[in-house]
Amino acid sequence: MNSVGRTPEPVIELEGLSVRLGGRPVLHDLNASLGGRAIGLLGPNGAGKTTLLRTLLEFYQPSAGVARILGQSLDNGGKLVRGDIGYMPESEAHIANLTAIRFVRLMGELSGLPPDTALERSHEALFYVGLGEARYRKLGTFSTGMKQMAKLAQAIVHGPRLLMLDEPTNGLDPPGRKRMLDLITDIRDRGETTMLISSHLLADVESVCDEVIILKNGRIVARCDLEAERRANRAFVELELQHPSEEFSLAVQELASEVAIVSELRMKIVLPDAVTVRDLYAAAERHGASIRRLDCKRDSLQDIFLRAMEADNGGV
Amino acid sequence: MAVYEREWRRYEGPITPIRMRFLVVTRFALGEVFSSRLFTAFYVLSLLPSLLALFLIYLRHNVSLLEQMGLTQEFMGALTMTFFQLLFSWQAVPAFFIALIVSPSLIAADLSNSALPLYLARPIDRRDYVIGKMAVLFLLLSPVTWIAGLLIFALQSYLEGGGWWLENYRIALAYLVGHLSWIVVISLLSLAVSAWVRYKPVARGALFGVLFILSGFSEAVNGITGSSVGDLMNLSKAMVSVVQHLFGGFSPSRLPVTANWATLIGTSIISIWLLNRKLRAHEEVR
Repeated sequence: MNSVGRTPEPVIELEGLSVRLGGRPVLHDLNASLGGRAIGLLGPNGAGKTTLLRTLLEFYQPSAGVARILGQSLDNGGKLVRGDIGYMPESEAHIANLTAIRFVRLMGELSGLPPDTALERSHEALFYVGLGEARYRKLGTFSTGMKQMAKLAQAIVHGPRLLMLDEPTNGLDPPGRKRMLDLITDIRDRGETTMLISSHLLADVESVCDEVIILKNGRIVARCDLEAERRANRAFVELELQHPSEEFSLAVQELASEVAIVSELRMKIVLPDAVTVRDLYAAAERHGASIRRLDCKRDSLQDIFLRAMEADNGGV
Repeated sequence: MAVYEREWRRYEGPITPIRMRFLVVTRFALGEVFSSRLFTAFYVLSLLPSLLALFLIYLRHNVSLLEQMGLTQEFMGALTMTFFQLLFSWQAVPAFFIALIVSPSLIAADLSNSALPLYLARPIDRRDYVIGKMAVLFLLLSPVTWIAGLLIFALQSYLEGGGWWLENYRIALAYLVGHLSWIVVISLLSLAVSAWVRYKPVARGALFGVLFILSGFSEAVNGITGSSVGDLMNLSKAMVSVVQHLFGGFSPSRLPVTANWATLIGTSIISIWLLNRKLRAHEEVR
């Protein structure tokens, strides 16, 4: 069984959730309680990320188990709770002969906004994503990047409590990708909505998410609190000397909480909160040691992801 | 429109009733339909038979106007059932062409660009979506068919007086039941075709084919088998037979009227099944 536990007020709860598609099991007995501001859903292609999102939107029916969103079970309140969800699908999804403003307004009204409010918020959403000047153009004439932004606008127009983004940076050029990540970060930092972001791009997830679930073969194989990881790894340092220095090594062992001497020249150090890198340089100067290289290294999401992928089907 | 806020924010205000949410689909689709001037002109033209009938009935009861025109009340014969039957078909034909023009763009436009997940990720389900799209055809076809028919019947009853409406209530019944049945069947069928055939001209051709090529095929089956069993797949003949039965006229099919109703209901059920098969947020790959 895969289990992930977290906050006192979870936004998404999975209890033994399993999904079969075409007779083939795709998600296996998922158990999780997710409540971060931005939750990343990582995994290789075919791991079940998109299937999980679609199941939460009731596009697919679970073969076993229960899923709850915002405290509402999908069994009896799924339709109602979808009014509080914004969804940006992975694939191209638009209505080509509608203008951007009409498209976003339609989606806003379908989510329950009164017509006047929907129109007002559609203008605002399109300006927010950077399509203000193009809002009266038909979606069929938009570039891939603009369509991606229009998809984000329709997902946020009704101010959802939960925003599900499936591969939001797909097909974007570097400036477009940066713009998309900036927008996601901005929405996250406002703290008014929870985001569930599915992606296979580690850098994207790492830059915007504070919690990560890693899926493999339809199972949760790792859960990572990126905020905690960042805090824990902040003081992890790799150091290499020009020449061996016994005195400097001893000085470092006095300063650091943990020191691993890899060789005469290389050592790995965990610095306590009160000690900074500047103190290491000062110690080197005092003992006549020359520091050749100093890396403030932390356990990257890539390391965590690769470890999870190496693990066989099993728990975290 | 002046845009004051260019930032994203949560919405905490009132929301519209969830049960009526399908009307959003209808309203936006109607807006798209009437964005074409050509269609708007055709729609106005399709009201002409009914307007002409209203004028003729008014003329027939206006003796002074008839005298001015050098006509008598006998100029169009008695207002028999035949007049109303003829008018029915003059209403049904443009209604069919309206459905033929409008329906392929109703669902195909959403499916061809994978917009269906965007609809279904919101608080509407597939049933709401289909009802919303069907309502477009219902709202377009009703004024041209049964509403116009009942207005004409009401005008004739009022001008004729003397319990005319009681003697001819079948006419009103035929307009109501006949046209509503036609609207339901043609709407479901055309939406199903639109869902499966996304290219508009091909969808129109397919709908035309279902009605007319299938008619020819059913006649061939009748000829080969020497029976009327082919009529079971002849939708247009079944519809005409049902309407004739409602008017109390001569049915072109040798099958009993219940068999004609079965054809209409069967077509509707098959159309719903086809819609159910096709209208999914995502297809399962088996």
